Amino acid sequence: MRVFINKYVEQLGTVVSFALLLLLWHVVADQVGPRYLPGPVLILERAAQMYSEPIGGNSMWAHIGYSLRRVLSAYFLAAGLGIPLGIAMGWNLTIRKIANPIFELLRPIPPLAWIPLAILWFGIAEGPKIFICFVGAFAVFVMNAYTGMRYTDRLLVDAARTFGASRNQQLFNVAIPASLPSIFAGVQNAMSMAWMCVVAAELVGAREGVGFIIIQGGDLEDVPMIIVGMISIGLIGFSLAIFLRFLERVLCPWRRDLHQ
Amino acid sequence: MQSEYKIEARDISKAFTVNNDYIEVLRNVSIGVKPSEFLVILGPGQCGKTTLINCLSGIMEPDRGGIFLNGEKITEPGPARGVVFQQYALFPWKTVLDNVAFGLTVRGVDKKKRYDTARHYIDLVGLQGFEKSFPHQLSGGMRQRVSIARAYVSDPEVLFMDEPFSALDAQTRYAMEKDILRITEQEKKTIIFITNNVEEAIFLGDRIILMTSLPGRIKREFPVEMTKPREYTDERFLELRLAISEDTELVLDS
Repeated sequence: MRVFINKYVEQLGTVVSFALLLLLWHVVADQVGPRYLPGPVLILERAAQMYSEPIGGNSMWAHIGYSLRRVLSAYFLAAGLGIPLGIAMGWNLTIRKIANPIFELLRPIPPLAWIPLAILWFGIAEGPKIFICFVGAFAVFVMNAYTGMRYTDRLLVDAARTFGASRNQQLFNVAIPASLPSIFAGVQNAMSMAWMCVVAAELVGAREGVGFIIIQGGDLEDVPMIIVGMISIGLIGFSLAIFLRFLERVLCPWRRDLHQ
Repeated sequence: MQSEYKIEARDISKAFTVNNDYIEVLRNVSIGVKPSEFLVILGPGQCGKTTLINCLSGIMEPDRGGIFLNGEKITEPGPARGVVFQQYALFPWKTVLDNVAFGLTVRGVDKKKRYDTARHYIDLVGLQGFEKSFPHQLSGGMRQRVSIARAYVSDPEVLFMDEPFSALDAQTRYAMEKDILRITEQEKKTIIFITNNVEEAIFLGDRIILMTSLPGRIKREFPVEMTKPREYTDERFLELRLAISEDTELVLDS
């Protein structure tokens, strides 16, 4: 038994933690009543229903699809522009001097503060939602790539120079690989940032997406619907994080042992 | 200009400004190393040894004076001068094989050729079987072996070793000293080896140059005339050790 516990101690912890949450939820729900907080069983029933019947003309899966498409379009665009810019800022002094002050100024503005402007600029279709996600993810990509480059061990660059590595070889064979762990931290954080932004953007004037589900639940005073929407958001964000962590393990094999 | 020296520092000086403090690190240092000579530079903790190596290898430029390789002035690093760094400086994302082959990768040597060469030097430093390992999976001694193999692969004319064994425990250090002796006998190079350890200096050097503490200057030279391998307990070894110790401000460590 003790061997069993030791072997599965981590999984056991997760199970216990979930069980405690469900128990607490059940007890509180029981006290305040389903009008404010429906219990776990009620939610499960509502989830089964929501995932089998269309809501606002779209199935729940289609709503998730809408949100994911917005997130991914913004995410890849942000990665494609943000990572190279961060690397350039880290490598080239002129680019750093010009771009860094602008960044420091724009960075404290939360992505959601851009919503009114985004709607004015891009209307109410997909444009503003993608733009908001882009703003959130882009800053994260840039800052992580830039930080990775700035903290590249000077000694490694010097070592490459002693082998006669050209400036480009120093960049592509040393500085960028050395920055990969930091860039990958950005890859993960940008995803959760983009996901948070899409939900917020959908709260304002969307007719589909998981953010819309929550707002719809609020409008209909359908508390179970709100909660099923929230849990769906959590589970999707969690799955995306797991997938990206897996990707990092494949692409940065030298970091594999460091994670354990 | 023809020169009897493989590599030469002519009257170099170097200073840094750190937090508004002006620190003179090297003052009028001149050193000449003959082809295939094993020169040891011995000095206390803070005496500009690393700065001297950085100038000689071209990583840094001296403020005054110049560095000459085969009589030609040099101003930047190049594959003709290999460096073994104190902190290994291995690329953590590359396997042992790819780390060792790095100098050839940079030169665009094709894969088969560079891996064959890299394997030869991995064997030379005794790391066969670890080609696919990553640096963080190796001990300190093994990492420094990788670093030595990596420096050898470019077939440099001059090899700099900057306190390569100072981070190792005494046992490993002794084993590495014997190995470096074997390797340098097998593949002759002009070597400049930096240390703060008197025994290590006498064990390895054809000639020992003693440096003062900051600003670093040359204090004295000691030729070592015993044949290698040398015994720590040899009478001449002990005499030289005493002579050097009496002449230094060295804090004798391990």
